[in-house]
Amino acid sequence: MNSSASARTPFTWSVSDIVVASTLAVAAGVIFWGWNLSYHAVSTLFTAYPPTAGIVAGMWLFPAVLGAMIIRKPGAAIYCEMVAAAVSALLGSQWGLGVLLSGFVQGLGAELILLLFLYRRFTVDVAILAGAAAGLAGGINENFIAAYYQYDTVGTVVHIGTFTLSGAIIAGLLPWLGTRGLAATGALGPLKSRKAHRESAFSGRIPESRSTS
Amino acid sequence: MSTMTSTGVEVSAAGFSYQHADRPAPAISGLDLHIAPGEKVLLAGASGAGKSTLLHALAGVLHDDDADSTGQLLIDGNPPAEARGRAGLMQQDPESQVVLSRIGDDVAFSCENMAVDPEEIPSRVQQALAAVGLDHLPLDHPSSQLSGGQKQRLALAGILAMQPGLLLLDEPTANLDPEGTLQVRDAVVDAVTTTGSSLVVVEHRLSTWVDHVDTLVVLEPGGGVRHRVPAADFHTDQHLRAELTAAGLWVDADTAPVAADLLPADTGENQLLTARGLAVHRQSPKKSWRRGHSVQPVLSGVDMSLRSGTAVGITGRNGAGKSTLLLTLGGLLQAHAGELTAGSELKGERGAQLPDSPYLWRSADLTSRIGTVFQEPEHQFVRSTVSEELRLSAVQARIPGTRDPLFTEDEVTARVEHLLRRLRLEHLAEANPFTLSGGEKRRLSVGTALAAGPQVLMLDEPTFGQDAHTFAELIGLLGDHLRSGGTVLAVTHDESFLAALNAQRFDLTPTPSAASVLENRVPIGTRPTNNDAKNRRDSGTPLLSAVRDTSWLGRRGPLAKLIALFFITLALIATIDPVSAAVVAVVCFLLLPIADIRLLVFLRRIWIFAVASLVAVWGAAIAAEESGRVLLDLGVTTVSTGSLEMGVSLGARAFAIVLPSVLIFSTTDPTDLADSLAQQLKLPARFVLGALAAMRLLGLMAEHWTTLGHARRARGLGSRFFSQAFGLLVQAIRIATRLAVTMESRGFGAGKRSWARPARFTGADGLVVLGGLLIAAGATALAMTLGTWNLVWQS
Repeated sequence: MNSSASARTPFTWSVSDIVVASTLAVAAGVIFWGWNLSYHAVSTLFTAYPPTAGIVAGMWLFPAVLGAMIIRKPGAAIYCEMVAAAVSALLGSQWGLGVLLSGFVQGLGAELILLLFLYRRFTVDVAILAGAAAGLAGGINENFIAAYYQYDTVGTVVHIGTFTLSGAIIAGLLPWLGTRGLAATGALGPLKSRKAHRESAFSGRIPESRSTS
Repeated sequence: MSTMTSTGVEVSAAGFSYQHADRPAPAISGLDLHIAPGEKVLLAGASGAGKSTLLHALAGVLHDDDADSTGQLLIDGNPPAEARGRAGLMQQDPESQVVLSRIGDDVAFSCENMAVDPEEIPSRVQQALAAVGLDHLPLDHPSSQLSGGQKQRLALAGILAMQPGLLLLDEPTANLDPEGTLQVRDAVVDAVTTTGSSLVVVEHRLSTWVDHVDTLVVLEPGGGVRHRVPAADFHTDQHLRAELTAAGLWVDADTAPVAADLLPADTGENQLLTARGLAVHRQSPKKSWRRGHSVQPVLSGVDMSLRSGTAVGITGRNGAGKSTLLLTLGGLLQAHAGELTAGSELKGERGAQLPDSPYLWRSADLTSRIGTVFQEPEHQFVRSTVSEELRLSAVQARIPGTRDPLFTEDEVTARVEHLLRRLRLEHLAEANPFTLSGGEKRRLSVGTALAAGPQVLMLDEPTFGQDAHTFAELIGLLGDHLRSGGTVLAVTHDESFLAALNAQRFDLTPTPSAASVLENRVPIGTRPTNNDAKNRRDSGTPLLSAVRDTSWLGRRGPLAKLIALFFITLALIATIDPVSAAVVAVVCFLLLPIADIRLLVFLRRIWIFAVASLVAVWGAAIAAEESGRVLLDLGVTTVSTGSLEMGVSLGARAFAIVLPSVLIFSTTDPTDLADSLAQQLKLPARFVLGALAAMRLLGLMAEHWTTLGHARRARGLGSRFFSQAFGLLVQAIRIATRLAVTMESRGFGAGKRSWARPARFTGADGLVVLGGLLIAAGATALAMTLGTWNLVWQS
């Protein structure tokens, strides 16, 4: 017979964790698609100096930190980013198989930061760091590993720099705010991040007075 | 002997209590209940009486670490979580009761999770589909093309294939039309009779089930069992009936009082909105050069007029285009043909200069004239408190042609306070709208539509899943709206709703010519025309095809294709040169026949990448290292021959990388790919199948996205990307939570599983791998010979 819930550790993924993470990633794919439809003009703004396009590239990274903040288990950042990448590959809006490599590298960037805090801290500073790390990893991948760009030194620095900054804001701060918003709707009931909206931004603690309502 | 029989499960609860984490009071406390093997129980109780909690507990899917659970709840003497497969749970929302894209796979899913011998699975699947009357459909029929009622029957088949001894149904027909309701009810009754399994069904509309069960159990809110009586008592015990009525349950079928004081629809004086020869479709009629043919309207030649003080109900089968018509009349979708004209009374004194068609109005002008209430109330919520939510529409409304607010600050406050009182939501003014109960959400959604004072109110299935209390309140609100000279237009299946508002019926039953193309022998029309399915595929909406590709490449194993793709991609990533890119691109075009993709179709899929490549060319030309002759001096930067060459190489490479992926992914079914990743690459099955189940939701999510956009316009907001994204995430998590329960209650994640379709590596698969290797090697070799090969990873 199966051993039911007894073998679970705080780091084991439940079925809810897996399905919610997967569905979030698919929703992210749809959001990318909506972004492409409504904000196609944004990228044309950067034709004057293409390396600055990194400033909106954080958009592609948000599933990593959002998944990590909501699921709060090891691997969530990499898993969500890779599934979201696979979805955009299926939608045909991205770079073919290479998108899986990008998804992995970017997710890994965020994942390393969460590991650094032993998956115990999900505060705003950690989220911003993780988003920045995802952007940095993405920048390194696109300039050196997959090498979609071959800018000169200035261009490379500008690209990686804007990518990192964009990651910190769009893929760090926003997912953190989003998680709090989602927790406030009560939708995160079965997940570890259920009370995220009541956590202090920097300590992550939940004020005692509120919990006895 | 039939393998479908199974012995009924015995349920015994002793002093069972359950309190969800962070809730002030228990959902169930001190529950004592015994259900004999094979007993059929209708479980009733007021909203919030813990009915769903009890079903989830019996299904063994309640396991919140922070929740408080005491007492004993056993099925056949075991805790439910340790008796996986003995109980099967069906929930309300049909979308989250289906797990996989093809109906055969979906039924087999539970067998696989229970590690049933693969040899035995096909016969179980066939019998289960026959038991629910879906055996006339091919096993690879796309589950997304089923109607709501068919989806619920498919879910029942998935449960039956597990051969459980206990069926747990949580309002299984609340979202269905009357026809679907009866089909699901009958399928359940047949299955229970044949297999002898026990049944517990929760339902607000008692008459659907009460004559088909043995026992009626009534739960006490926050407590245990209040009544446990033979089902027949329901018809005779007047005291019990009164008590059930007071609890908000539907005791008498379709006997809501008729509002005699309301005008019949054809007697109203002023025409607010008139449609002549209207043709509608979800998709905008705008011609796009990407789309070869124009969209065929789902419905055309609609004539309708809405008069003040009267109500109209749009009725008809699933897929007849009812909601699409509603959205078009509401100025949210563009009409394909015909005229939609707003009368001068609707435009109002200050809006005389507004165009005739509401579709052309600003959202700020629309919201104060036509309010739309969506089927899912949460689609309309955009603020974090109830009172802010009500404020928003009132604040957004503008005087036509100006940016001046329609209401003064005091007027806004007065409207909000009035609505809070009228909706009986005063005590919840500061609560988050998403945390309200189902009935409260429904009231608030109507309130948000009324807040800007529209004269026309449009509602999509407003009574789906509501108890009798919420129904009565809704009728009260809408009746007031009619008496004050407004009009109500609702898409509905609910006869009591039509009667209560004295509404004129506008029936959209398909004409014979449209009906003749309904799929053969499908009891309920799923898609009204074949045309529609074609339109959906060509629309901008992303959809995964559930139908297997029959080309040579389509019949090869996914793993082989993935390996081939890996080699080719690696060869391209490794170097930045135009030669290897050109080789791959040419070969891809040459290989189109084995993928059975026509050149034009292929070009339509890849043109966007060609554009992206040009951007890459420009990017490198302007920002790569300057070398060679300077072609263009822009002051801060230059375009040189060297940087332009680099750009061309990068662009060609970016383009070439995409082509084999498009070829492979167009001919690979996601389900087969997942099977192969889990069985052959040994990736963890839980994650692979979780991702696969979520991928099936892609089309549904895209529909939610569009609806969220409509809802924002209806509320007087323009396009709001972040609000729409947030709304989508909430829906995604809600659906995922229900889907997780479905999957777990079908044995998913419990341990060892079997595979109905073993993935194999064939000789032809070897050929595919070899082909991939040859293309990669050939591209690299030619580039090296011509001296253009240029390894990326060198300093």
